[in-house]
Amino acid sequence: MQTLARMTEHPRTESTGRLLDHAADGEEVLIQVSTDLDEQAEFGQRWLVVTPGRVIVVPVDGTDGGLLSVAVVDIRHVRNEMLVGGGLLAIEPVRGDALEVFYTASMAPKFAEVARGLEQLRDGRPMSINPELERMRCARCNRLLPEKNGICPACVHKLATLRRIASYVLPYRWRVLVLGLAAAAVTAAELLPPMITRRIVDDVLVPADPSPDSMDARMETLGLLVLALIGVRLSSWVAEWMHGWIMAWMGARVTADIRSQLYRRMEMLSMQFYDKRQVGALMSRVTRDAGRLHEFLVDGLPYLVINGLMVLGILGFLVYLSWELSLYILVPVPLMLFWGAFFWKRMRRYFHRWGESWEKLTERTNEALNGIRVVKAFAQEKREIRSFSAVNRDLREVAVATQLNRGIFFATMSFLTGLGVLIVWLLGGRQVLLEQITLGTLLAFYSFMWMFYGPLEWVAQVNTWMSQSFAGAERIFEVIDALPEAYDDPGAQRLPRIHGSIRFNRVSFGYDKSKPVLRDIDLNVEPGEMIGLVGRSGVGKTTLVNLVTRFYDVDQGEILIDGIDIRQINLRDLRRQIGIVSQDPVLFSGTIADNIGYGNPGASFQDIMDAARIANAHNFIMAKSDAYETQVGERGIGLSGGERQRLAIARAVLHDPRILILDEATSSVDVETETQIQQAMAKLTRGRTTIAIAHRLSTLRHAQRIVVLDHGRIVETGSHAELIALGGVFSELVRLQKEADEIIAIRN
Amino acid sequence: MTETRGVKMSSNTIDTPESGFTVAPITVTHPEKVDVRAIRLFRDPPWLLRLTLEGDRSYTRVKVVRAAPLSHPDHFIALLDARDEEICMIDALDDLDEETRSLVGEELDRRYLTSRIVRVLSVRNEFGTSYWTVDTHRGRREFVVQNVGENALWLGDHRLLLIDVDGNRFEVPRVDDLDKRSVALMEQVL
Repeated sequence: MQTLARMTEHPRTESTGRLLDHAADGEEVLIQVSTDLDEQAEFGQRWLVVTPGRVIVVPVDGTDGGLLSVAVVDIRHVRNEMLVGGGLLAIEPVRGDALEVFYTASMAPKFAEVARGLEQLRDGRPMSINPELERMRCARCNRLLPEKNGICPACVHKLATLRRIASYVLPYRWRVLVLGLAAAAVTAAELLPPMITRRIVDDVLVPADPSPDSMDARMETLGLLVLALIGVRLSSWVAEWMHGWIMAWMGARVTADIRSQLYRRMEMLSMQFYDKRQVGALMSRVTRDAGRLHEFLVDGLPYLVINGLMVLGILGFLVYLSWELSLYILVPVPLMLFWGAFFWKRMRRYFHRWGESWEKLTERTNEALNGIRVVKAFAQEKREIRSFSAVNRDLREVAVATQLNRGIFFATMSFLTGLGVLIVWLLGGRQVLLEQITLGTLLAFYSFMWMFYGPLEWVAQVNTWMSQSFAGAERIFEVIDALPEAYDDPGAQRLPRIHGSIRFNRVSFGYDKSKPVLRDIDLNVEPGEMIGLVGRSGVGKTTLVNLVTRFYDVDQGEILIDGIDIRQINLRDLRRQIGIVSQDPVLFSGTIADNIGYGNPGASFQDIMDAARIANAHNFIMAKSDAYETQVGERGIGLSGGERQRLAIARAVLHDPRILILDEATSSVDVETETQIQQAMAKLTRGRTTIAIAHRLSTLRHAQRIVVLDHGRIVETGSHAELIALGGVFSELVRLQKEADEIIAIRN
Repeated sequence: MTETRGVKMSSNTIDTPESGFTVAPITVTHPEKVDVRAIRLFRDPPWLLRLTLEGDRSYTRVKVVRAAPLSHPDHFIALLDARDEEICMIDALDDLDEETRSLVGEELDRRYLTSRIVRVLSVRNEFGTSYWTVDTHRGRREFVVQNVGENALWLGDHRLLLIDVDGNRFEVPRVDDLDKRSVALMEQVL
């Protein structure tokens, strides 16, 4: 027996390892996975070991008696049942007891693969499952990850991330240099004034020699010192302005660079990437995560740098002025740090709750106003008002509590700072009286102390701030590092002119590898032939056409276009010659003409009009006030389903594809429009290989052959008449639809 | 086999004597109304549930499902066949005889893997994600809840349901019944 992949999870302790080795008893291990529930469905650990011959369940407290096994040949049925909050894998044997393995929802993807593997083994097929196990815990710190295979926010490698962010800054290194100088200048300019005022007090106002003789000299010194102050203020003004300007410029530049790289990459990623993630989550990477990074670069980083320099500088001056007094003013510092750390945690919680209450209020309002018709129709206004009031009250209470806490925080902080001030007055004043230090020194000290305490109030939140922006940056880098589709694979075969034959060779595929949507599809489409795809919803019709456009790659088998495996065809060539008209065509913001020409940016206006005529769209377009230059899309006017449908057909006509895919192109339009669309489509499909999916079977009258899918397999193929004569699934569908149509006809 | 019962809704039935026009009451199609006393459940083979409606017919691979798992766990319990189609509904567990009730109870316990939290050992909130360690009636468990606002649902004033990142469910039937420390820990994040 050939095995393609093994799925082995490593036990965390050695004793478990020995236990498993013992259970496998020297046989080749195909699958070895742990579950987190025991036989009573209580939290615990059990292992499932699969060898070519046996399936063994190993409890970790592992007495020999607890070892259960079933021979693979004895397996009658493998049942993987979804439970609420988990699942149950039951291996039902021909004789003896069943093996039942409970697992929590955390393990569901893993056990879906295991169940598939077991079925394959039982059928004597080679085992082919996705052996990749999801990472649930951080590999470094072993804490549970918020997202499977995701990024551990605690272990974001800050230095590495910083280095990577720095690589985006590198192109602007001269500016960075200027920036650094400006930051140093700003710091210096902040630090100098107290030293100058110290001179003013000591040399001018309260000099050692207060005789009238020195008056002139003192006046002169005063003038000079004030000039110096003006100079410092001016240079500080220039430096601060420069610093702010360059920082804003760079922050915006760097985040824009990262954002555009991110977006470029997102456009080029495969559909598979999108299936696994929610669009909303991805949008937030472009907007929120990039925003956080921007905030950090523009506000956080300069704040850190300048304040860091400042604190060091101040400490230097303080010690220089009086090391004794310096020691005293450090006394409240630990208190402040402690209080800051303690309180920020608490404040964060309040801010968080505040934000959440806001969100709830917005959501509530949004829902109620969007659904206003329903609310009114059921006369439930009072109830909506009540529920809004409740949410509003919550918000009010949280807001008050937040402000209250905020007040306490800052009040306490200034109290602690005040403590430092008291110390300075008391001890410093004493030293002045004892003439150990001068009055000027005391005043300088006083100013420095305020500057010193300022940044300390915020030091506690810097770490959170950095963690958040770095985690955001990591999430962005994750997308940037994902593999794009191979548009320009040099090894791919160019195919500038597709002839149009499509051949499916035993194709199997599933979005989730454990749940195949299509199985063993064999189908041969001749160039220029029109094939109708029919089946209940969810049988895999859309999936089948998604494979032709290579939004996804097949799991097994191959798809050949003009005899070439599509995985070897240059992707650009392939997609350029496939046109899709889908159920709900997307229009982009722009004019109608822009939208028709979407796939052919260079098309002439004449061509666009011709395409619209072919698509039976010309007349309704001309009826609009701006005709072809009518704005549509997000901010433009709304078009009806039938109108959008015809624009999509016009788009496909202009695109002139060799292979055409119609994905329920005529659903949801009225009868008259449908006729028009059908006429348009008949013109479009002529001479092109066409695969048409349709619910409305009458649409498929032009189809040469109709393929009926059921449970991911082709169950019937033939012309309309042949299939009716066959009396199978298709004829049943036609009968049902006729009945439904009749009912509708009577009602109308 | 199916029986049609009329649901009378007096407000929906409008009699207008002049025209003699009556709005027909809305009718509901139930699966067969089964007398709960006719329900016989077996494990046969031991890992499968079989249902026999006495003197009538029998189903294998039967599933037991709650219609209102959160607010009425002991009422409205449906028995589904192998194709997930409803065979019948048990309006109240208490209507069943002792033996059947305990079997249904066992099946429900197997299906609903919700854990009841008995004690909270630690809760850490970091980076918008909370990390929990709790003792449940199934034993100790660590889990992660993202976006607590959305994934902690209050079902009534005292009852709390937490859903972790993987969709596992943890329930606190009465928050007030927990010890003080646990409540204090939970209040930190909720």
